[in-house]
Amino acid sequence: MEEYSVIGKRIPRVDGRVKVTGEARYAADYSMPGMLWCKMLRSPYPHARIVSIDTSRAEKLPGVKGVLTGKDFNGWTWGWMPKTRDEPPLAVDKVRYLAEAVAAVAAIDEDTAEEATELIKVEYEELPGVFDPEEAMKEGAPRVHDYVKNNLSWDFHMDFGDVDKGFGEADLVREDRFETGRVITGYLEPPAAVALWDSGGITIWAAKQSPYFVYRHLAACFNLPLNKVRIIQPFIGAGFGGTKNDSLAGDFCSVLFSKRTGRPVKFVYNMHEVLMTCRRRHNMIIHNKMGMKKDGIITAMQSKVIADGGAYTAIGPLTMYLTGSISTLPYKLPHFRHDAYRIFTNNPIGAAMRGHGVTHTRFAAEIQMEMMAEELGIDPIEVRLKNAITAPYETINKVTVHTCGLKEGLKTLSENPKWKKRSGGSPPEGPLSHGVGISGTAYLGGARQRGHQSCGAVVRLCEDGTIDYLTGATDCGQGSDTVLVQIVAEELGLGVEDVDIKRVDTAVTPCDAGSYGSRVTVLAGGAARNAARDVKRQLAEVAARNWEVDPGDIIFKDQRVYVKGEPEKAMPFRKLAQVACYAGSGAVIIGRGYSQYGIEELDFDKGIGNAGTSYSFTSQLTEVDVDLETGFVKCTDMVIAHDCGRPLNPINVEAQNQGGAIQGMGQAMYERFAMDLGKTLNANLADYKMPLSTDVPNIELIDIITDDPNGPYGAKEASEGSTVSSPPSVVSAIHDATGIWFKEQPVTPEKIVMALKKKRE
Amino acid sequence: MVTFYRRLPKMGYVKPGSLEEALELLEKNPNGRYRVYAGGTDVIPKLKGRVIQSPEILVDLKGVSDLDHIDFDEQKGLYIGALATVRSVETSPVIKERYPILSQAAGSIASIQVRNRGTITGNICNAVPSADSAPALLCLDARVLLYSKNGGERTVDITDFFKGPGLTVLQPNEILREINISASPENSRSVYIKLSPRSRMDLAVVGVGVLLTKTNGTFRNVRIGLGAVAPTPIRALKAEAMLEGSEVNDDLIINAARTASEESRPIDDHRASAEYRKMMVEVLVKRAIHQCL
Ligand SMILES: Cc1cc2nc3c(=O)[nH]c(=O)nc-3n(C[C@H](O)[C@H](O)[C@H](O)COP(=O)(O)OP(=O)(O)OC[C@H]3O[C@@H](n4cnc5c(N)ncnc54)[C@H](O)[C@@H]3O)c2cc1C
Repeated sequence: MEEYSVIGKRIPRVDGRVKVTGEARYAADYSMPGMLWCKMLRSPYPHARIVSIDTSRAEKLPGVKGVLTGKDFNGWTWGWMPKTRDEPPLAVDKVRYLAEAVAAVAAIDEDTAEEATELIKVEYEELPGVFDPEEAMKEGAPRVHDYVKNNLSWDFHMDFGDVDKGFGEADLVREDRFETGRVITGYLEPPAAVALWDSGGITIWAAKQSPYFVYRHLAACFNLPLNKVRIIQPFIGAGFGGTKNDSLAGDFCSVLFSKRTGRPVKFVYNMHEVLMTCRRRHNMIIHNKMGMKKDGIITAMQSKVIADGGAYTAIGPLTMYLTGSISTLPYKLPHFRHDAYRIFTNNPIGAAMRGHGVTHTRFAAEIQMEMMAEELGIDPIEVRLKNAITAPYETINKVTVHTCGLKEGLKTLSENPKWKKRSGGSPPEGPLSHGVGISGTAYLGGARQRGHQSCGAVVRLCEDGTIDYLTGATDCGQGSDTVLVQIVAEELGLGVEDVDIKRVDTAVTPCDAGSYGSRVTVLAGGAARNAARDVKRQLAEVAARNWEVDPGDIIFKDQRVYVKGEPEKAMPFRKLAQVACYAGSGAVIIGRGYSQYGIEELDFDKGIGNAGTSYSFTSQLTEVDVDLETGFVKCTDMVIAHDCGRPLNPINVEAQNQGGAIQGMGQAMYERFAMDLGKTLNANLADYKMPLSTDVPNIELIDIITDDPNGPYGAKEASEGSTVSSPPSVVSAIHDATGIWFKEQPVTPEKIVMALKKKRE
Repeated sequence: MVTFYRRLPKMGYVKPGSLEEALELLEKNPNGRYRVYAGGTDVIPKLKGRVIQSPEILVDLKGVSDLDHIDFDEQKGLYIGALATVRSVETSPVIKERYPILSQAAGSIASIQVRNRGTITGNICNAVPSADSAPALLCLDARVLLYSKNGGERTVDITDFFKGPGLTVLQPNEILREINISASPENSRSVYIKLSPRSRMDLAVVGVGVLLTKTNGTFRNVRIGLGAVAPTPIRALKAEAMLEGSEVNDDLIINAARTASEESRPIDDHRASAEYRKMMVEVLVKRAIHQCL
C-alpha cells in the first residue's frame, strides 16, 4: 500500500472554523440594498380547480411591487425527465396538494408581502381528493393529472431469471406486506435565495445542494443561455436529497420578480412551510415474496412496490429504479422480479432522500430473510453469510461489484461480545427486555442519473505555491470540501492549509452533476486528483528542465520538490511555483481534470447495469431496551462495520456513518408525517419526532478496507450505506426483544404495546 | 387560508416596573385584549404561529421586581413567585428536599435553555393538558394566589384552577402572583413519571404524579395527578379513595391503577390514541405507586 501524507488522516473540516464562529454565510444571511421579499400564497385545498384569481387588492397595498400567478410562466413546467415535466412554478389551472403555491407577492418587507398574499382572492372549485396510493390506482379514482390513467406516475417491470422456477425449488416461500414511512429529509437550513436579474442575466445566491440542476431549470424557464445564469453557492446547512436538489416556486418567482422590478428579491421558507410543502421521502408499500431452501439459500425474490408519489413526478422515476435495480445486492439472487408503481396522490411530493430508493426494498428483504431464517432455525448472521456475495461479482441484472467487505463485516460482528451475549437469551428482568439485531446491506457510490454525469475540477497554481481549487461539487455538510482539498494537497505534496477551495459559482467553476447518490468523493474526488496531477505534470517538466533529469523522477512531498535518488537536487514547492510562473515570458499554470466514468451503458427501462461506479457494504449490529409495558424503546448501542473501500478522512467517514445510522434509526422508531386528507398534522419539529442528541446510542465504527479500483485511492461511498442498514437492524433488535416482527415503519411505542397485547390475547 | 409561522404580529408592548402598575393596566383591559407573559415560551410561538389572536398590548412581567422568589417557611409552606423559572424550581434545594415531585416534574420540561426562560406559573396558566408541572402541583394540593387592582386577592385551589384546554379561572384583570404549597406530610413519598416517544426534551403523551405516605402498612394522603389524558390535568379521585386508608397490597395497587385509567378521558390525536393513553395511565400509576413504597 502506498504511503499517503494527507489522505487517510484525521484532518478537521476545512469549513469547520467559519461555521463554528458564525462567519459562514448561508443563503438566508444575504441581503442587498433595495431588496424585495417574495412570499407565496398557498392553496387551502389538496385538490381543486382554480376558477379565478383576483390580485387587484394585493397590488394596491402600499409596498407591494408585484404579484405573480401561474399564468406568468407561460405554461412552462419542469421535471426530471423530458416526459415527466409536469410541475409548474405556480399552480395554473389546478392545485394538486394542500399548500401548493398559487400566487406570489414581492414587497418591500416580509410583513407587507405576507399581508398582500392574504388580499389575493382565489376562487376554487374543490375536487374530490385521493390520498392513498392503493386507492388511487383503482379504476374510477379521482385523477390528479387529467391525462394520467389510474394515477400511474411511473412504473418499472424488471424480470430476471425465472422466479416461478425459483419459488418451485424453495422449501419455504413467504409473502409479506411491508411499509416504509413518510419521512422528512431533515435539513435544518430552510430553502432560501436572493435573486438578481440585470443585463448580465440571472445571478442567484441559493441554498442548493446541486446547483447545476437549478442552473439548467432557470435557463430553460427564462429562455436564457447557460452563460447568463449564475448560481453562487453560499454555505449549505444540509440537504439529504429531494428539495435542495431541485427548484422551488420561490426560486422561479424571485427571479421573475427581479426581472420585472430590477431589484434583488429574496425568499426564505420557514420550517413550518418546509414540513407542509417540500419534498419528502416516498412512503412505500412493498409486497415481498421470497423463496428459501432448508439450508437458508435464497432461491428467488419477487417484489411489488407501490409508492405514494404525491402530486408531481419530480425525481420519482429514479427512486423507483433504485428500489429494484439494487435489490440484487448484497445477497445472491438467481431469480428476481420487480414491479414498481409510483402513484400520484394529492399528498406533498415524494422524492429522493439519503438511502434513495434502496432503503425501502432492502428493509423488506432484510426483515423477510430473517423471518424465514427464524422459521428454518438458522442464525440471522449465518443466513446472511450463506447468501452474501463475494467480489468480484456480477448480479443477474449485471450490476458489477469489484470489492465487497460484507462477509468480513458480518463475521466481525458475529465475534462481537454483544452478539454472543444475545444467544444467552435471558428472560427480561422487570418490564425491560433487551434485544440485539443485525443487518447487512449495500449501497451504490458514484451514482449517476441519466444525462450529464461527470465532475470537473480546476487547480490553479498561485505564484507563491498556494493553490486555488475550483470544483462544481457542493459540500452541503457532508465534508466533501475537506476531502477534495486533501486530494489536491496529497497529489502536490502540500498540506491542506496550502489549498483553498472556492465555493461553487456556475460562472466560474466547472459543471458538476450534483451532490447526490454518494458521488462527490468518488467522482469529484477523481476529478480533483486528475486536475492536481495535471499541475504536477506541468511543474515536473519545469523542474526536470532545471535539473536536466526525467520529469518522471521528480517527487513532490512535504511541500518540497526533489529528484528521486538525488536528494541534493531539491527545492521548496514554493520556489518551484515561482520559477514556473516567472520562467520565460511567464506561464499560467492551470490543471484540469474530470472524472472518467468508465462503466458500461445502463438500460434504464429494464433495470440492467450499474447505477453507480462502486458499492459500499454495511453490516450493523443494534442493541435496544424495550419497555414491554409502555413500548418505549431505547436504542443503546450500535456497531457498524462499513466497507467504504478506504476512508480518505476517517473523521468524515465516522460522522457520516453515525449520522446515517441515526437518521435510519429515526425512520425506524420515531419519524412519520401524520396525514389527514392531504394535510400534514405535525408540521413542526416538536410533533414530528426526529431523534435528539439524548436518543443517540453509543456507536462503534469498524472500517472494512477493500480498496476499490474504481474510486480515488480506493474510496467508495460513506454516507448513505448506514441509512439503509439502520432500519432493518433496529427492527431486528426490537424483534429480538419482543418476539414480534414489525413490518411497518416507524415502530412506535404504541404499535409495540398493541402488538404485545394482541399476542397475549 | 394556509398560513405559516411568521414574525410577531404588530402589537403594543409594555414592561411595567411593579405589580401594581401591571394590575392598573389590566384593570383597563378591554375584553382581555392585553396579555401578560413571563418567559414567553408558550405565548411567543403561539403568536408567531397565529394560533391565538394577537393582543393589543403584550404586558411583559419580567420588569416586575421581587416576583421570582422561591421562599420556604415551616408554617406557611412554599411560595413560588410568578417569575420563578422552571429551572430555578427544578434546582432549588428546598424543593428537591421537601417536594421532590415538583423538582422532578420541572426537570422533565423541555431543554435547559427553555427551562431557564419559562416559568412554572406560565406552565399552568398556559393550561395545556400535558403541562408537566400540573400533576405534581395537583398531588401537592397547591393553591394559586390571584391578584387584581386595589389589593384584590383570591386564593384558588389548583384542582379548581383549570377549566379546559388553554382555559383557567384567571380573569382578564388578574395576575397569578404566587403558587403556595403547604409543608407536605411527614414521610410522604412522591414521583412524577412522564412518558414521551423520545428520551428527553419531548412532550408528554401521558404524565402521572403520585404522592403518598405509607403508615403502618396502610396508604395515607394518597394523591394521583394525571396529565395529557383529559381536557385538563386531573386528579384520579376514585383511585385515590380506593387506596386511602387501605392496607398496601399488590392487587389493590393493580385495581387502583385500573380505576385511574377508567377515570381518564383522553382523546385520539396524532400523538397517541386514546386507548394507548388509557393503557399507559394504568401502567404508570402502578409503577408510580410502587416507586413510592
Ligand atoms: C421547545 C419547547 C419545549 C417545551 N416543552 C415542554 C414540556 O416538555 N413540558 C411542558 O409542560 N411544557 C413545555 N413547553 C411549554 C413551555 O415552555 C412551558 O409551559 C413554560 O413553563 C411556560 O412558561 P413561560 O413563562 O414561558 O410562559 P409564557 O409563554 O410567558 O406564558 C404562558 C401563559 O401564561 C400566562 N401567564 C404567564 N404568567 C402569568 C401570570 N403571572 N399571571 C397570569 N397569567 C400568566 C400568559 O398570558 C400565557 O397565556 C415547551 C415549550 C417549548 C418552546
